[in-house]
Amino acid sequence: MTGAVPLVTGSVGSVGSVAPVSPVVAQVTAIEASLLAFVVFTALATAFARDVLAAVIVFGAYSLGMAALYTFYRAPDVALTEAAISAGVTTVLLLLTLAKTTRIDHETAFESVNLPAAGAAGFLFAGLLLTMGDIPAIGSPDAPVWSNPDVTQWYLTETYAQTHVENTVMAVLAAFRGFDTFGEAVVVFAGGIAALIVLHREVFA
Amino acid sequence: MSDAVDDTDMTDTATNSGADAPTDAESDLPPHRAAARSGRLDSENRQGTPYTESQVIMPTVKVIAPFAFTFGLFITFHGSGSPGGGFQGGAIMAAVVFMIAFAFGIESTRDWLANTVVVALAVGGALAFAGIGLVPVALGGAFLQYDLLPIPILNPVKYGMEGVEVIGIAPIVAGVLMGLFFLLANGFSSDGGGFGNGSLDEDGSIDEGEPVDDDGSPEAGAADAGGDR
Repeated sequence: MTGAVPLVTGSVGSVGSVAPVSPVVAQVTAIEASLLAFVVFTALATAFARDVLAAVIVFGAYSLGMAALYTFYRAPDVALTEAAISAGVTTVLLLLTLAKTTRIDHETAFESVNLPAAGAAGFLFAGLLLTMGDIPAIGSPDAPVWSNPDVTQWYLTETYAQTHVENTVMAVLAAFRGFDTFGEAVVVFAGGIAALIVLHREVFA
Repeated sequence: MSDAVDDTDMTDTATNSGADAPTDAESDLPPHRAAARSGRLDSENRQGTPYTESQVIMPTVKVIAPFAFTFGLFITFHGSGSPGGGFQGGAIMAAVVFMIAFAFGIESTRDWLANTVVVALAVGGALAFAGIGLVPVALGGAFLQYDLLPIPILNPVKYGMEGVEVIGIAPIVAGVLMGLFFLLANGFSSDGGGFGNGSLDEDGSIDEGEPVDDDGSPEAGAADAGGDR
């Protein structure tokens, strides 16, 4: 974990003064662009697929695309979680649930657009898009998460000295924020117990 | 049920069904829609069948499973030096069990991996995490204060964290995910007492008897629902 190495060095400062949007656009590589297009396409396909089985499978592909995108953005821990939990386990559990229910015969392959829902989604999308101008460019040295010497830099420089592990993410999760992680682990455990209670069973297997 | 057609025959079927008055809409369907319909009927029939051995999936899983499980162990044990950790590794190891269950049958996997193992993983993981956290408290420190752990020779902070990841988080995640998988595979039916045929006197032999019940009733429901639509 060497921290946030700028993905494209040099071009951030020079292009950044031209326009707020252009440095982001200028840095998009071919791999990144194709991954983004894949994610957007699979997300739309998930929303519009009328057959639930098709939606589940495309949603798994979406999660795989997101995992690749996280890897590309130097977040391998998040990418591993996304690939294992979202693309793998969640898809399997959804498929298992579908196998226990019925599949409805659909005349059309795609859902017809619900205009109020599309309007609400478009409104939210436009609102989120308005905030894009204030988000620092990817890998920008001016990004608060990278330039902040009190928080991020402290963890990056002090992790090995204090915990003797190289993975800063794991050090934060297990040591610096260990109590939170204990709570999360208990929540996962309680989720299993809750599933037992909801299904009126006393044994898992 | 007789119109489960092959993909090669679908144009003939479409033209034949076009002669019937109520299926005019179907005759206008493009070929890919006709193929999807035949696939749907096929899969609907298949829902009732419990498990069929696949000569492709079983050898593939036999080859892949040891490597995937080793990868899960690596992600768990090497989480301090590389990306990963107990959560991801536990999920990968649970996914290996899912893979085995899909290839060799969920019921036989349920027999092989007893309920005791699943519960022991989840409960043992939670207890181990709490225990590692409480040992420093017993020694006069704070919760999860790793440097007070009585680990000889090795660095107590590093290996305390490793202990939390390896014997705490990973077993919890793996056990709970496997438990959810088997729970969902059981399904639930509204007959009998509650959702899950849950009375324990039946559960003494649930691994044999219950799936027949479970697979029987949803299939009847599937046929009814399909007929209505």
